[in-house]
Amino acid sequence: MTSVQTEVLLQTLISGFLLGGLYALIGLGMTIIMGVMKIINLAHGELMMVAMYIAYVLFAQFHIDPYLSVFIAAPALFLLGMAIQKFLVDPVLKVDSILPENQVILTVGIGMVLANLATIIFTSDYRQTPVDYSTKAWYLSDFWKHAPIELSLSYPWSVSFVMAVIITVCLWFFLAKTDMGKSIRATAQDQDAALMMGVNVGRMRAITFGLGSSLVGAAGCLFIPIYYIYPDIGGQFTLIAFVITILGGLGSTVGAIIGGLILGIFESLTATYVGMGWASVGRFVIFVAALVFFPGGVASLLKTRKLGK
Amino acid sequence: MKKGFSVLLVLSLVAGFFVGLAHAANTFDLTIPLPLTGKQAKFGEIMKRSYEMAAEEINAKGGIKGKKIALSFEDSSGKPETARAIVEKLIDVKKQPIIVGEYTSACAKAVAAVAEERKTPYLIVASADDDITTQNYKYVFRQNAVNAHYADALVSFLKDVVKPKTIAILYESSAFGTSGAAAMEQDAQKKLGAKVVLKEKFETGAIDFRPLLGKVREAQPDVVYTVSYANEAQLLMKQAKELRVEAKLYAGGAAGFAIPEFIDGAKDAAEYVVSATLWTPQLKYPGAKEYAERYKTKYGDYPSYHGASAYAALFVVKHALEHAKSWTPDHIRAALKATDIMTSFGPIKFSDKDGYQNQNFMPTLAIQVIHQQFQTIWPEKLSSAHYVYPVPGWRERK
Repeated sequence: MTSVQTEVLLQTLISGFLLGGLYALIGLGMTIIMGVMKIINLAHGELMMVAMYIAYVLFAQFHIDPYLSVFIAAPALFLLGMAIQKFLVDPVLKVDSILPENQVILTVGIGMVLANLATIIFTSDYRQTPVDYSTKAWYLSDFWKHAPIELSLSYPWSVSFVMAVIITVCLWFFLAKTDMGKSIRATAQDQDAALMMGVNVGRMRAITFGLGSSLVGAAGCLFIPIYYIYPDIGGQFTLIAFVITILGGLGSTVGAIIGGLILGIFESLTATYVGMGWASVGRFVIFVAALVFFPGGVASLLKTRKLGK
Repeated sequence: MKKGFSVLLVLSLVAGFFVGLAHAANTFDLTIPLPLTGKQAKFGEIMKRSYEMAAEEINAKGGIKGKKIALSFEDSSGKPETARAIVEKLIDVKKQPIIVGEYTSACAKAVAAVAEERKTPYLIVASADDDITTQNYKYVFRQNAVNAHYADALVSFLKDVVKPKTIAILYESSAFGTSGAAAMEQDAQKKLGAKVVLKEKFETGAIDFRPLLGKVREAQPDVVYTVSYANEAQLLMKQAKELRVEAKLYAGGAAGFAIPEFIDGAKDAAEYVVSATLWTPQLKYPGAKEYAERYKTKYGDYPSYHGASAYAALFVVKHALEHAKSWTPDHIRAALKATDIMTSFGPIKFSDKDGYQNQNFMPTLAIQVIHQQFQTIWPEKLSSAHYVYPVPGWRERK
């Protein structure tokens, strides 16, 4: 391997890893909702779009840095998610219908309404938050004068990644250590048993939907400095979240994190060594492969290893 | 309540009928299909504003043969099937005798097929794919240059100034991107004698161009030539700057590289990027400067060639309608065929040559971003500023 080839490989892995971290955060929100509610929230990408527009408006009107708007957009999305669960998803759950998955179809509808509302309010122009640091990066040669290869680490991508990691750790702490987190996990494992143990299942479901929404909302704010927004952007992220959820093993949070990283790295490698137009094909190859060979996703692999011990 | 409603309905229908009649008497209705939402909305917006400005001007001077132009727009969101449906309606229901508009090549292709089938002239304003005017269509006219010639000025700039030995071609996987890349590949081999060391496509809406740029670094081309619409152009340049992928020159094939948003979005990463274009506000065509200045005072930015072409298109339509024996599709077609005028967009004359039909051939230009401004740099006799070459490497810039 020549030094340029090594450089390209390492750079590919770096960018795949950074992208994967952000993907994981997007996937986590859907996974948590999936785990507790047993439905795939197909409005997930649209919720992210809403958060991105919140960040955009805050930036354009009040010059608030997109990274700071995480603290505004995430709580806002939490409330939005709770409201959706309480006033839209719950009533539909109670109604008998021909289709058992009518809540899933409902989420598709919610997504469409959100996307169209955004089109009406913001038109379908592409918008960006042109921050000053958008092309800043750290270079290996800045730290190590005679480095044989040159690697760079994008400033906004790294900040986004680090914040995604912090949010994930906070989530883990919340789910593992707090009472409410334990109640949510109990609801996810067995709703009836949780109910009998005195868990307010209805409330937990609303909080979970809010939590899932605020996670993807945070992801939206982290994405906007490196990307752009338009009202129809949601679909592609719903798809990514869906692939990660399947890859991670329907409802497993650790699985989703690993799934996100796998997807990011795999996409980057496909783009470099097969062709950039193939990156999305790679995404679906992984998706189908996961369904066929590991129907339980990463979570099932983790489990079998534990049992093996 | 119900009765009151139906009375109201009848009244409004009757009123609508009379308004319609009055309308028909002294206006010429022209509905233009455009992408006003979706990914291509930015281009649609520039064109819509320009059509409106042209209509205003024509109407202020008495309209076309005493009839005022009543413009309206239909949003195709850049989807060929929608564009097709809109135009079918315009021709079949509204009996509009001439179709103008659309933007993406895919949409223009769909519209051209409908127009030809229904024997209604169609004036293409800014769609570049070569195929559209090589189908032996009789009713399809195109006033902008074809993709094969988009980069003519750029190629001559490369040949005379940069003299590249190797070139990398990156393109978006759309009709426009694919044909633009194919044209550059040919030019590189035939006119420049340069080797194409990398030809890669990327999907529309891609986030991360680093893998692609990694390949560029590996191939070490003298020139990186990219054909894409708006956002990808900006992201690509930003990431090229960040990764410090060095090349003697970054060049773009019009579209996303030639609109003001390119500089707004890519900021300092846009500096020194050279792009092909069909028109610039600095050109000395009659009315070009006035149009550009008026557009700027109204909307804050100079228009791109898309707008200039749209603006001129209405004057072409006006000219054709004034010279047509009657306002039937066939007579308008004959008048368009005979058109030979000078507009703010340049000379317009539809000719059959090199395998194209009803195609306008015009000189193209090359622009460069210098101090965050587009400057015309090639051909030299039309230039507004001297080109900057050699371009400083990313490392040497602050």
